Amino acid sequence: MEQIRNDIIYFLKSQSFMDSDTQFAENESLTKAGIIDSIGLLELLDHISERYSIEIPEDMLTPDNLDSLQGITNLIVKLKTERS
Amino acid sequence: MSRIVCEKCILDSDVPGISIDEDSGLCQFCQTYEPLSPQEKDGYLAQMEALFREGSGKGEYDVIFALSGGKDSSYTLYELKRKYPFLNVMAVQFDNAFISDNAIENAKKMCEITECDYFRLTMGDEVLYDTFRRAALSCDAFPRFAKYRASDICNTCIGIIKQKLVEMSIVHRAPFIVFAFTPGQTPNPIINLSTSFVKWSRDLFDDQLQKIGIDDRDENFVIKKEVVENMDNVVPKIIHPLCLWDYNEERILEKLVDIGWNPPDINDSNSTNCTLNSFACYNHLQKYGIHAYAFDIAGIVRSGDMTREEGLKKLNQELSQPLILNAAKKLNLKVE
Repeated sequence: MEQIRNDIIYFLKSQSFMDSDTQFAENESLTKAGIIDSIGLLELLDHISERYSIEIPEDMLTPDNLDSLQGITNLIVKLKTERS
Repeated sequence: MSRIVCEKCILDSDVPGISIDEDSGLCQFCQTYEPLSPQEKDGYLAQMEALFREGSGKGEYDVIFALSGGKDSSYTLYELKRKYPFLNVMAVQFDNAFISDNAIENAKKMCEITECDYFRLTMGDEVLYDTFRRAALSCDAFPRFAKYRASDICNTCIGIIKQKLVEMSIVHRAPFIVFAFTPGQTPNPIINLSTSFVKWSRDLFDDQLQKIGIDDRDENFVIKKEVVENMDNVVPKIIHPLCLWDYNEERILEKLVDIGWNPPDINDSNSTNCTLNSFACYNHLQKYGIHAYAFDIAGIVRSGDMTREEGLKKLNQELSQPLILNAAKKLNLKVE
């Protein structure tokens, strides 16, 4: 979990979605915090699919799964578990 | 610290948020850049063709096409119909009140040549002037990353186009929306949307409009609630074929002129169709110190479709003062 979380933060920082010193809570909304919008979400989805070799089902493209660090981490863990 | 330019693309250390690695001499985007391999491109092309063949003939149209009348969208429409002549296409041109007459003529001409239906989407000049004025005066309404992608004015305009094209595709039951984005402008050649994602992105854009001071109660700019609420599970796919084809500006222009497209009559190095673009770039530079096309040009250079020298030349071209002044006058804004 921790590794996935750090990877997502690294991606968001390295791709300039946010400053390197930006701090935010696990369940904070990434869209409301002005970090990401719908096109940014597509970039993030692309990264997740490639990095973890998972397909994100269309019905899982929801704010619950993608609008916070916690939601994204849980989604990746769930899909990785289902795959293995 | 002195300004350092990325050794691969054209981004530099003076652009807010861009860092150049001392060892590699590359910006953070070039460091992590992995181009599509020829096999991956072929895979996407095969997938795109299969989708078109499977999905065509089921709705009123097969494709809702975003046609600005500029070079990229005109060329993409031409190539799309040449490669997939069976597609029934409605080309939608957004008249944002700043589109050049030449671009309107070109769009109509391209529709005649390719035998596609033409639709002009607009909301009235004063409404649009007010919208772009508010976008110009806004600050940080869009996320940080969106500032690299485009100016606040262009992000607003593109947002409206995307919302309305999704709406039209649902209404006309067209399974595909095609945009002519270049390799630097889009993350993925084929994007599968979902009902929940369409609803979510509608709400996100509505929030952004509110941040720039627009209350879109008439749903001029976002997908109409009635359409979203009554959409079934057949959601359009967004396709970006141009990022899978060879991209060369000179060859594209040559081809277009050859088939009867008129070269632009506006002096803007980054747009062949919009007379607001120079002002939008000027406004973005003033507000954020970011050239609205830097990331776009960097993407084309990074992918090898433009040389670094050509990219730097394009980036450093002066913005057209007459276009800036003319747009500012229409928006009732002052230029420093």
